[in-house]
Amino acid sequence: MNQPRPRQGHFSDVALGVTLLILAVQLYLFETVLQSVLDGQRALLPGAFSASLVLTVVALFLAFKAPRLDDGPES
Amino acid sequence: MSWWRRAFPLDLAEEGHFSRREFARFLAVVSAGFTAGIGYLWLRKKPLETAPEPTGTHELAVALGRASDLQPGQSRLFTFRDAQDRCILLRTPTGELKAYRQTCTHLGCAVRFRGERLECPCHEGFFEVDRGFPVQGPPTRPLSGIALETRADGSLWAVGELPKPTNVPTRAAACPRDTRMEVRS
Repeated sequence: MNQPRPRQGHFSDVALGVTLLILAVQLYLFETVLQSVLDGQRALLPGAFSASLVLTVVALFLAFKAPRLDDGPES
Repeated sequence: MSWWRRAFPLDLAEEGHFSRREFARFLAVVSAGFTAGIGYLWLRKKPLETAPEPTGTHELAVALGRASDLQPGQSRLFTFRDAQDRCILLRTPTGELKAYRQTCTHLGCAVRFRGERLECPCHEGFFEVDRGFPVQGPPTRPLSGIALETRADGSLWAVGELPKPTNVPTRAAACPRDTRMEVRS
């Protein structure tokens, strides 16, 4: 007998879009930082690290702490 | 039911289940990896392979022989910072001595002096010899220049690293082939 499939934790379209956008920005930021470091310009590293850290915190919050929409009374 | 499902009748509860949240967690972890990478670049004291030294100087000068040994169009290889730091010394067709780090700024292949330009044979990138600017192919950043010094006895020394030029000219302006065409016309 088939077991019921585990219920999917619903993750809203907006949250997924924001997470994907954050990853795209992170990729562009890392590529830019790496090119600048190769050119000998290290002054932007603290600022780039801070911006990247903020983006990562937002992504981690969305992925781990954002409320599950299916955790409501019906579940 | 597909044929492979009949051939392998395994029914795992988690099979085929990959939620959006799990995907978002994966993306978040990758994002954290980028942050860690930028932090590593920030904390790393030693410059990357093709990056200039932070001070722009080199403690020990490296002897390169006599300045008159090289004729226009000739080149010679030498090592500067360590045994892995390969550089190329050349005399341009106009008679100037120039030295560059041999590492191509595209993907790190060794450039060679060919004709009037420095050529990276891996992906056909070309650099002009006066300042090391890229003029053709994939590279977008100039070669690292090595400062030279000719002493009173005629000996030539590599004494440091030139600062990276910031205003890279357009390729059309830097390409010597285009210059020749302008002269002909």
